[in-house]
Amino acid sequence: MSDAPWNVAELETHLRAVGTARYHDKHPFNTRMHEGSLSRAEIQTWVRNRYYYQTRIPRKDSVILAKADDATFRREWVQRLHDHDGRTPGEGGLELWLRLADAVGLERKEVERLGSVLPGVRRACDAYVELVEGADLLVAVAASLTELFAGDIMATRIAAFEKHYPWVDPEALAYFRNRTRQAPRDAAFGLRFVQERARTRADQERCIAAVERKCEILWSLLDAVEAAHRRPRLSSHVLLRPDEERPGSQLAVLPERAVRLNAAGAEILALCSGERSADEIARVLAARHAAEARVFEDVHDFLGEMTRLGVVEQRD
Amino acid sequence: MPAPRLWNLIAELSYRCPLRCPYCSNPLEWAAIRDGLDAGAWARVFHEAAQLGCVHVGLTGGEPSVRRDLGAIVAEAGAAGLYVHLVTAGVPLEPAALPELRDAGLRSVQLSLQDAEQGASDAIAGTPSFARKLAVARAVGAAGLALTINVVLHRHNLDHVAALIALARELDADRLELAHVQYDGWALPNRRALLPTRQQVEAAGRIVREERKRASRPEILLVLPDWFAGRPKPCMGGWGRKLLVVAPDGLVLPCHAARGLPGLEFWDVGGHDLRACWEDAPGMNAFRGEAWMAEPCRTCPERHRDFGGCRCQAFRWTGEAANPDPACALVPHHETLVAEREAAPPDAPLLYRGRHDA
Repeated sequence: MSDAPWNVAELETHLRAVGTARYHDKHPFNTRMHEGSLSRAEIQTWVRNRYYYQTRIPRKDSVILAKADDATFRREWVQRLHDHDGRTPGEGGLELWLRLADAVGLERKEVERLGSVLPGVRRACDAYVELVEGADLLVAVAASLTELFAGDIMATRIAAFEKHYPWVDPEALAYFRNRTRQAPRDAAFGLRFVQERARTRADQERCIAAVERKCEILWSLLDAVEAAHRRPRLSSHVLLRPDEERPGSQLAVLPERAVRLNAAGAEILALCSGERSADEIARVLAARHAAEARVFEDVHDFLGEMTRLGVVEQRD
Repeated sequence: MPAPRLWNLIAELSYRCPLRCPYCSNPLEWAAIRDGLDAGAWARVFHEAAQLGCVHVGLTGGEPSVRRDLGAIVAEAGAAGLYVHLVTAGVPLEPAALPELRDAGLRSVQLSLQDAEQGASDAIAGTPSFARKLAVARAVGAAGLALTINVVLHRHNLDHVAALIALARELDADRLELAHVQYDGWALPNRRALLPTRQQVEAAGRIVREERKRASRPEILLVLPDWFAGRPKPCMGGWGRKLLVVAPDGLVLPCHAARGLPGLEFWDVGGHDLRACWEDAPGMNAFRGEAWMAEPCRTCPERHRDFGGCRCQAFRWTGEAANPDPACALVPHHETLVAEREAAPPDAPLLYRGRHDA
């Protein structure tokens, strides 16, 4: 019968299979990080943006606490808040991440202000908190089970940094060292909880879906970081032409598709020479139009959509 | 009703083709329809299409590369400001000709494959062609042209969808069109040999959904058979609504098969300008909009999505082109189609496209 519940071992196998297929250790950006081929600027972009993710974690865990009726559960889960925030100022995972930021050459204050977090990163991390807010306790806990796969990636990362990025003070890798201990402990508790509570096949499948969604979120965070260093240019086969039927508007024509561009879109595409990154394009436009507030977000969003449609190609 | 903007011109340059696929969408009597338009006549068609707002032109057939003046035709289409897309089987097209065609104005190539491996692909094509197709695919990418791989799906290759996706990735295709056979043209007499099982259809759908998650390239378009879907397809995006077909003899049609519908008067570009053929030809207006629709289409909330489905299919299975498309489970004639579908034996022989009528 296809809707019979899995036993606890089968459920664990299915949960782990999600990680095997989709965890972000397989993302090209992580692959490059671990082979040592990221530039200093790429490492900095990752550290600066990933900090936003770190700041969402204690908020997410507070939401989970608020959903729990059981004191034993809360006593266990509150440990995560202490791990991230520390018991006193100057302790905890967030502080350790800021030390990493220092060590890679970022301004700690600037990182803490979250002013230059990429829109795609912000959206991905916010989506995680929203996922947990909208879920019941079971699914909210299940979404954290990407921790099952985190221990390995932390160990890989420490080795990679020590070997390939010797300019980063090894002391500053303390965050990753702590997580190699914390993640397996946290994951074991989360897994046991999910195994005990997800008794019907439908509940089990909701847990699987939550881990899949969480993997997507982590993946799209890295997509956004990666895209920030690419240099978009118009795809070679795209035809840009005015649309005589609609004076003032342009069409970007490609196979089976014609994308209508307004003046702002046409202006962004005109800057996609393959020489400038999305940020550099946004800076050109901000200077030209006296810094409209949302220009960075608009440029990133527009170029993301144009890349998806095949209008622009992204070169490293 | 007033004619809408023309977006896409399908230019059938010739019905000749070295391949003999048993699901060819050309008319059974293709050999009687001659290549009536020279490059100059096509140039006039392209410019008149551009004046109707047209953006895309697909140069197709048969096989467009059988035309020795293909380079001149591409150049005329580019000069008219159209986005030039070549729909080819890869033979007799020379891979080495692609940079020249690009310089003449070509931007995009759609290449057909019949299956994921040489033996099976050549068996359906009815002629050795797979190796040449792969060479063409690589030359398309090297020339900086967009590459779409198109595979017509049916019982004999539907289980190879994963391999087809892997091959399209290896060829670095921008798009992969996996489109099930439409049971018209040569596929109508071959339907019993081509119809898949529902299990095949569902498995292919699952594979495509998984592969879309795995990677963003190529973009995968999957068209499942309307005989299984319970709903009609939005055939041609609606009759005379976005695109027109100019056949090799110059006849202007709303779809590549409409020539076979009785009682409809279409005009040709020899006798009229393209605007008249698009806006005023009685056949082109016969099923525009919704006034022609019978119940249950006339009041159906889905009519804006499927535009009433396929007129040719309605004619084949109900005897009347204005009837609802029997692919729709909401119409009485659907039972006929279901019975036909279930009657397909597992080992029906394939009839290959030949020189003469089936």
